[in-house]
Amino acid sequence: MDYNELIRDYLDDAAGHLNDFDVALLSFEKNGMNRDLIQNVLGSLHTLKGNSGMMGFDAIKRYVHKIEELLKKVLDGEIELSGAVEVLFESAHVIRGALHEIEKERTLRSDLGEKILDIERFMSGSAPGPGREEVELTSYLGTKTDTIKVDFKKLDDLLNLVGELVIFKTRLNQMGEKIKTEIVTKPLANELNGALESMGKTISGLQEGIMKARMLPVRHVFNKFPRMVRDLSRSMGKEMKLLFEGEDTEIDKTVIDALDEPLLHMIRNAVDHGIETPGERIAKGKGREGRIVLSASQESNHVVITVKDDGKGIDFRSVMDEGVKRGLVAQDETPDNETVLSLIFSAGFSTRQEATEVSGRGVGLDVVSKNIAKLNGFVDVASTPEEGTTFTIKLPLSLAIIPALMVEAEGEVYAMPMSAVDESIKAKDEDIHVINNREVIRFRNTVLPVIRLNSFLGVGKKRRKKFYLVVIGKADKRLAVAVDRLRGQQDIVIKPLDDTLGKSYGIAGASILGDGRIVLIVDIMSIYRKREVAENG
Amino acid sequence: MGKITLPPSGLAEDVLCEMDSQPGELQLVTFTIGEHYGVPISQVQEIIRVGTVTKVPNSLSYMEGVINLRGRILPVLNLRKRLQLQVKDLTKESRIIVVETGNKTIGLLVDAVSHVIKVSSESIEKAPEEVLEIDSDYITGVCKLRNDLVILIDLERLIRRENIEIREEDAASPLARGMKPEGEERL
Repeated sequence: MDYNELIRDYLDDAAGHLNDFDVALLSFEKNGMNRDLIQNVLGSLHTLKGNSGMMGFDAIKRYVHKIEELLKKVLDGEIELSGAVEVLFESAHVIRGALHEIEKERTLRSDLGEKILDIERFMSGSAPGPGREEVELTSYLGTKTDTIKVDFKKLDDLLNLVGELVIFKTRLNQMGEKIKTEIVTKPLANELNGALESMGKTISGLQEGIMKARMLPVRHVFNKFPRMVRDLSRSMGKEMKLLFEGEDTEIDKTVIDALDEPLLHMIRNAVDHGIETPGERIAKGKGREGRIVLSASQESNHVVITVKDDGKGIDFRSVMDEGVKRGLVAQDETPDNETVLSLIFSAGFSTRQEATEVSGRGVGLDVVSKNIAKLNGFVDVASTPEEGTTFTIKLPLSLAIIPALMVEAEGEVYAMPMSAVDESIKAKDEDIHVINNREVIRFRNTVLPVIRLNSFLGVGKKRRKKFYLVVIGKADKRLAVAVDRLRGQQDIVIKPLDDTLGKSYGIAGASILGDGRIVLIVDIMSIYRKREVAENG
Repeated sequence: MGKITLPPSGLAEDVLCEMDSQPGELQLVTFTIGEHYGVPISQVQEIIRVGTVTKVPNSLSYMEGVINLRGRILPVLNLRKRLQLQVKDLTKESRIIVVETGNKTIGLLVDAVSHVIKVSSESIEKAPEEVLEIDSDYITGVCKLRNDLVILIDLERLIRRENIEIREEDAASPLARGMKPEGEERL
């Protein structure tokens, strides 16, 4: 955010507080003393004072502070409100004038020293109060604002309507395609298609506009954590810094609202298990102070959020031991580090000897992965001993409308969120190999496990000679989902499934297609979990 | 006791909104799944023919799937399966009764919808357990007509029960089974 934008925000906010102040003063003049109202005004002024200080307008900060003092004296009964009202009205003018100057000059030259003295003199009773301030008539209008406050519900309703429009658009496009092939009068069909195309563009613009209006900088959720990190680390005798990167990245408010709990678990884990005590860190040759970096960035249609610490990393050995104890891994198995790490997302997973008052290792991470899956997102962890641990969350930018790959299995169409899809390839039955009773496929120098969507969902076991593989996930944690057919990419409007249906394992939600049919959305995270169960049991 | 026969289409919307209830009187939408059953009209939103029902993998066995009701996705409960009666194939008469209970809207799949009847609240009696085919937990009472018996379904309980079952099932998921540590703590 650049300086001009900051000033605009500040002025918008200040104008609001000043307005509250004016309204209250008018009420005092008309109805006399009202303690609650004074308290409210003090709240507004306090925010104004804080903001002014933050923006470097010290003169306003000091001046507002004087007004606060005066109001407190009124509250304490030291000064009569009726006598002070005139002074207060004048003070509102003074602030208004100062804001006006900032709006025009982008800076404040006056130090308001004389004005501050005026109020001091009035409080000490040595002067009847400041003289009348000459004010420009237009300054009563205050600063013009470019921001309006809107109830989020209204934006939500609008987005729902746009969602319906997107559905109708798809439906019209399908009809348009049909008409093109069936109608002989070419010009008419062309005209229709032209109109459909223009409408499609407008709808996309509208959709984008509304989605943007619902976006907030991720800072809103990041800012909830510095205090927690400070308090937690103190109680554990640790020293660390919480740093932000890309905190201006904007995401949908509903995603922001759903992010705080998963982040809370991850950051708490980093503070508790990642970062070592200062003594340990110095002994290892690390800086005394640990670092936790919260970062956000946008990658095409999704947002990537990472929580990275420079602590001791996850202890593979004890995770493995715990996995064996829980029967998740066989004693004689030697899974790769990736697989071991994925164990920490299992329900209630915790290595007991390390459990502390704040958290047991890994406890809550199953909740994290569940919550992220609900958002059609994806969570991953990487860790290097003595270098630290990084949790990566990948989420769609919006919860309401996401791009999805439509696939077919056993005659049913399913949607797979594009945020999880890497690429899709054609495959033949002979490309599949069986290793240790598990199907795999060789793909660009790596071997990927194959999960068949129909048997994963339990809807059938039919095997085709030719089929498609959708590669999901990233880096070496990828796997291939076998489907019968690909039906192209499409924006879908996500609707949750009612819980009366039961668990509906493997399904994250549903969407309505252009022709009115319902398509189910595949829960990507559950495919991973299934893979772990299959591998470990 | 008034009795209104539903139009052959079974689409009862018009009839539903014409009925107004008097104090001490109860209006019931009656339907069949073997016996005659009824639900209070105040809980019935509409009655629709059975169109495409999309099966949801790994859902509860008595859930038929989901339907698209004018842009809303509603779960459909197969009442025969829910009440553990013998399962029957769909016919031309099969209907989905869209009911609202609590804050939920769900569809009930039934063999056929018959009438909307008015009965006095006093004519409703406690269910005689021995004569009933189904679990009396789901029944608020029975209503004796001249030559018929209408069993009143307790929708709230039907749904509330399900919620409990879902929780139990959750606890028994392959991942959670046997893996809850002692003294597990979560923030």
